[in-house]
Amino acid sequence: MAYSDKVVDHYNNPRNVGTLDKSSAEVGTGLVGAPECGDVMRLQIRVNPETQVIEEAKFKTFGCGSAIASSSLATEWIKGRKIEDALEIKNTDIVKELSLPPVKIHCSVLAEDAIRAAIGDWKKKNGVAETAPVAVATAAN
Amino acid sequence: MTMSNAANIPQSATAAATVCWSCSASLKESALFCEQCGKIQPPSGGYFSVFGLEPRLNLDLGMLEHQFHKLSRKLHPDRFGRASEQEKEWSLASSSLLNDAYRTLKDPISRTRHLLRMHGAEIGEEFAGKDKKDPSRAPADLLEEVFELNMQLEELRMGDEDAGLKQSLSEARKKFVALQDEVDDQLRAEWAKWDEGAEFGNDAAREAAQKTMVALLDRRRYLSNLVREVTETLGDS
Repeated sequence: MAYSDKVVDHYNNPRNVGTLDKSSAEVGTGLVGAPECGDVMRLQIRVNPETQVIEEAKFKTFGCGSAIASSSLATEWIKGRKIEDALEIKNTDIVKELSLPPVKIHCSVLAEDAIRAAIGDWKKKNGVAETAPVAVATAAN
Repeated sequence: MTMSNAANIPQSATAAATVCWSCSASLKESALFCEQCGKIQPPSGGYFSVFGLEPRLNLDLGMLEHQFHKLSRKLHPDRFGRASEQEKEWSLASSSLLNDAYRTLKDPISRTRHLLRMHGAEIGEEFAGKDKKDPSRAPADLLEEVFELNMQLEELRMGDEDAGLKQSLSEARKKFVALQDEVDDQLRAEWAKWDEGAEFGNDAAREAAQKTMVALLDRRRYLSNLVREVTETLGDS
């Protein structure tokens, strides 16, 4: 299957690959997986407690090119956003931006899940009321 | 699993094929041939019934192979040289069903996947990213473990001393294969429970075993990916 140029670009030059200190109160970690294809994705955010702005976002994904591109794009998009705005990002936005074919739509779903899980984890750590109950189930610690 | 190319089959033959289209003798369920007149019947069976087997996870593989060879011979195109076009078509369709069925059933993992999917389990890539996903399908501890194993694998790959790297990767593969074997043992234990539930109509027991197996198959998918990746890195098999 041919990947779109944008997928190839993110795959070859993934943005924001890396790790943030999981134990820090400012850091939220989302670890999600798609057992059907065996992909795992970790997305981390560092949130400014005053402004609730995501100042840093990192990811590490083991999976296909589309999964890597989806998470790379997700970190690019959420950086600089307030957490409530980051929750606005829908997997369909990722599908559109990367021109993902139907069989790879689940990669974008995984990226959206990862954003929600990371934000959910941060909220839990910081005692913020949970608005997305789905996120708790997939959040790592 | 019914065949879709049934458009030009006489009505009397398609209706669950309870009687032979040729001699009107009554047929066994999913019979490929009439026991009375020996004529081929339209394919109507699934992977298990084509072999005359009950849908069970524990299979007699010797019997499966024996049946496969026996039926393959009976369906051989040479035997249909003078048969009608319709019969030729049926024999080809049944041959292809038989081959798919044999390939699927002789492998324990694909057999398990097939049977559980027939019973509504959402296994396979077409279910990935489904909206109403069961959260228990991606338990945090499994994801943590898989993520860690992937990280280790990546670190190993980045190591530069070749001999040492190869050694570590071989060890990693051994470890993943051992974990996979463990999952297979656990699956086999669930087979017995599932089969027993199916045998005695105990749906609760069957469904409990099914749920456990879906989780085990998920775990196995992650592990087999890891094994595949190590193997690719090592460049041998």
